[in-house]
Amino acid sequence: MTATNTGRFTKPVSIAPLVTFRITFGLLMFVSLLRFWWRGWVTDVYVLPKFHFAYQGFEWVQPLGHTGMHALFFTVLAAALFIAAGFLYRWAAVVFFLGFTYIELIDVTTYLNHYYFISLVAFIMIWLPANRRYSVDVWLKPEKERTQLPAWCIQVLIFQISVVYVFAGLAKINSDWLLEAQPMRTWLPAKTHLPLVGRFMYEPWTAYLFSWFGAVYDLFIVFFLLNKRTRPYAYAVVLVFHIATAIFFPGIGMFPYVMMTASLLFFSADFHERLLGYLPGYSPKKRTGDKVYNYSGQQIFLAAFGIYVILQVIIPLRFLLYPGHLFWHEEGYRFSWRVMLMEKAGTAYFTVKDQAHREVYTVNNAEFLTPLQEKMMSTQPDLILKYAHYLASEYGKRGVNHPEVYGEIYVALNGQRSRLFVDTLVNLAAQPLGWGHYQWVLPYKNSTNQQ
Amino acid sequence: MKKISLVAFLVVALATVFYACSKSDGGDDGPGTGQGFDKSAMLASYADNLIIPGYTALQQQLANLKTASDAFLAAPSEGTRATLKQAYTAAHLQYERVAAFQFGPAESALLDLFVNFSGGLDYNFNTSGELTGFSVDSNKIEQNITAGGYTFTNMVRSSFYSQGFPALNYLYFGPNAIDKLNADPVKRKQYINDVLARFKALVDKVAGDWPAYRAGFIANTKTDVGSPIGSMINQFAYQMDLLKGPRIGWPFGKQSNGIVFASKTEAYFAGISGALAVENITSLKKIYTNNGNGKGMSDYLVALGKQSLNTDVLAQFDLVIARLQAIPDPLSASLTGNAAAVEAAYKEIQKLLTLLKTDVPSATGVQITFMDNDGD
Repeated sequence: MTATNTGRFTKPVSIAPLVTFRITFGLLMFVSLLRFWWRGWVTDVYVLPKFHFAYQGFEWVQPLGHTGMHALFFTVLAAALFIAAGFLYRWAAVVFFLGFTYIELIDVTTYLNHYYFISLVAFIMIWLPANRRYSVDVWLKPEKERTQLPAWCIQVLIFQISVVYVFAGLAKINSDWLLEAQPMRTWLPAKTHLPLVGRFMYEPWTAYLFSWFGAVYDLFIVFFLLNKRTRPYAYAVVLVFHIATAIFFPGIGMFPYVMMTASLLFFSADFHERLLGYLPGYSPKKRTGDKVYNYSGQQIFLAAFGIYVILQVIIPLRFLLYPGHLFWHEEGYRFSWRVMLMEKAGTAYFTVKDQAHREVYTVNNAEFLTPLQEKMMSTQPDLILKYAHYLASEYGKRGVNHPEVYGEIYVALNGQRSRLFVDTLVNLAAQPLGWGHYQWVLPYKNSTNQQ
Repeated sequence: MKKISLVAFLVVALATVFYACSKSDGGDDGPGTGQGFDKSAMLASYADNLIIPGYTALQQQLANLKTASDAFLAAPSEGTRATLKQAYTAAHLQYERVAAFQFGPAESALLDLFVNFSGGLDYNFNTSGELTGFSVDSNKIEQNITAGGYTFTNMVRSSFYSQGFPALNYLYFGPNAIDKLNADPVKRKQYINDVLARFKALVDKVAGDWPAYRAGFIANTKTDVGSPIGSMINQFAYQMDLLKGPRIGWPFGKQSNGIVFASKTEAYFAGISGALAVENITSLKKIYTNNGNGKGMSDYLVALGKQSLNTDVLAQFDLVIARLQAIPDPLSASLTGNAAAVEAAYKEIQKLLTLLKTDVPSATGVQITFMDNDGD
């Protein structure tokens, strides 16, 4: 790599966009986690369940009990505020990233794309000097102040936001979304209560409008945000789109707010200087001339940035390596920015038998799982398998000799009728967890005519 | 140039939206198209035709039960008890007709917990001890009678199982019920009357609250958790879960490798578990179709273009009803004596449960948990 090649990444730019991002990100995370706590979800999701669906390779991540989980949330909440204030920033960013990611790794059934996004951003933030302007750290040690930093510090975050949009858009290029307007056609008739627009929710054209607008928006909004001339309009569209999402689909949680604030990063340094100028105690730049933050060993960071970019492109595409219908098998589905993409529901019945089939027990899922866990497990093959293994161990403890676990599971996808999801004759307890294709999941059969 | 074209684009887009709005305004007063469905009218119809009259009828049945109970307690005998059993059965059957309305006033009053506790769903029937399913806590009841002082408001299983239908069922029809009444009349009769008074107070509260609750009920056409439509759809699945679990499947030994728990059938001592199960599912079908008046959940599904799903749900309802009717009462005896008939019913119950727990909520966009969700 030569200097000219990397110049566009290393040239000094204003730190202002990163300062805005640091403050808004920290505050938004604080509000988001406080909301989670306030709704009683810390207890519901991380204390009460008897069993957790661990991520493969992260089985060591365990909940910490009632006191421990609340202490962890308190720590992460504090870290979020410290990030916003830019106080002990590096430590706060590390604590936030580790704490937040630990929480998210406890149970797969709580997976949300924006939690993954937050973990990634928090990781990136550790390495960025976001506290070098308008922060407590600088107030304590004014000599630490910097007004400029290498361009890649902003670019990496813009890249990350772009990945979310573009892959969310690419995911929508499928026949269900574009040709059948599913799942919008299923979801929108449930929204007739909305003022003004409610009356249109039964109309098929509304579903098509939403589907196509959503796909076009996700695919192209980044390019309009990058273009200086279209940027203000594009951001207006960002606001309209995400506020609409929040109104139509409140169940999506904090996602719209995360994207609305994150997308501010596309704006120019001047915009952010003006924005920050409204805040108390923000001194305009050029007070003592520009001071550039210099990374020692910047080449290593650039190389890491490059690897990160490649990974972020490969991970959402890994589904291509699996056979079968993606929505049905969900192999390579997570960590790929597939947001509100399908309507999938299931009911799962399990039977435990001893080796000689002399003992037969019907499993009561409510005995082991919360309603959320049961709902998520019923449609996702890897979770079904994890649960089957857990059932085998539980019934083994109860004295069943070499327990075998069989599933009779029905799944409905995108407005179609439910049908059998896994081979009922396969002992799931004997099937290994892995990254390969699960043969015991029955192939997807499309029947668009069947309602 | 680009700015101008963008502005032009926005103007055209806005104009299109307004044109579409005004066009719809000028049309008929009903919902925009043939696909439209008036959810508020559906909810109003439910409130006025099934829910409020259901609780009024329950109040009436409880009054009849009190009269029959007074006659029985005045002269406990097989003869007076036969009349009482009719009144008891009528009251319990009426309860099955409102059992699926566990939201709003009934949920606030915890009616189901205190008058017909099913034991809930989140435990193991085989290993969780005596106080599960449709049990009676006879020890607690006898302790209460002996003590002469008791509170019915404790949020514990022994409290749920020592009042409401479980207690009445035991005190009227339990082992040596008549002898025990004659041996210890004062405190025992007092307990029965206190249970009846508590029962009446709870039902009166629910029935009394509904007229005021109605306005909010019919105005809320959302489908999230706790909304009227969401609650009703979730109740279909919940009642089916109860049928598959505590009402039929678990006493039948489904969780316990075939070990039968005959005494844990609903209203075991009255021996009417089968009739109650039939009434429960028949009522559920009636609720699903809103008694066939064209303003039911079934009609909503049809309006959503789910005709074949609706047809299958109705057929499966009929099949389950037929299979349950084929099991002779008392169910407690049939669990072993007519196992094949119970097994056949269980299979069909599971199929209906699948339709009501997966296909119907999925088709109607109903949420089943409060948690954030960006997947499906």
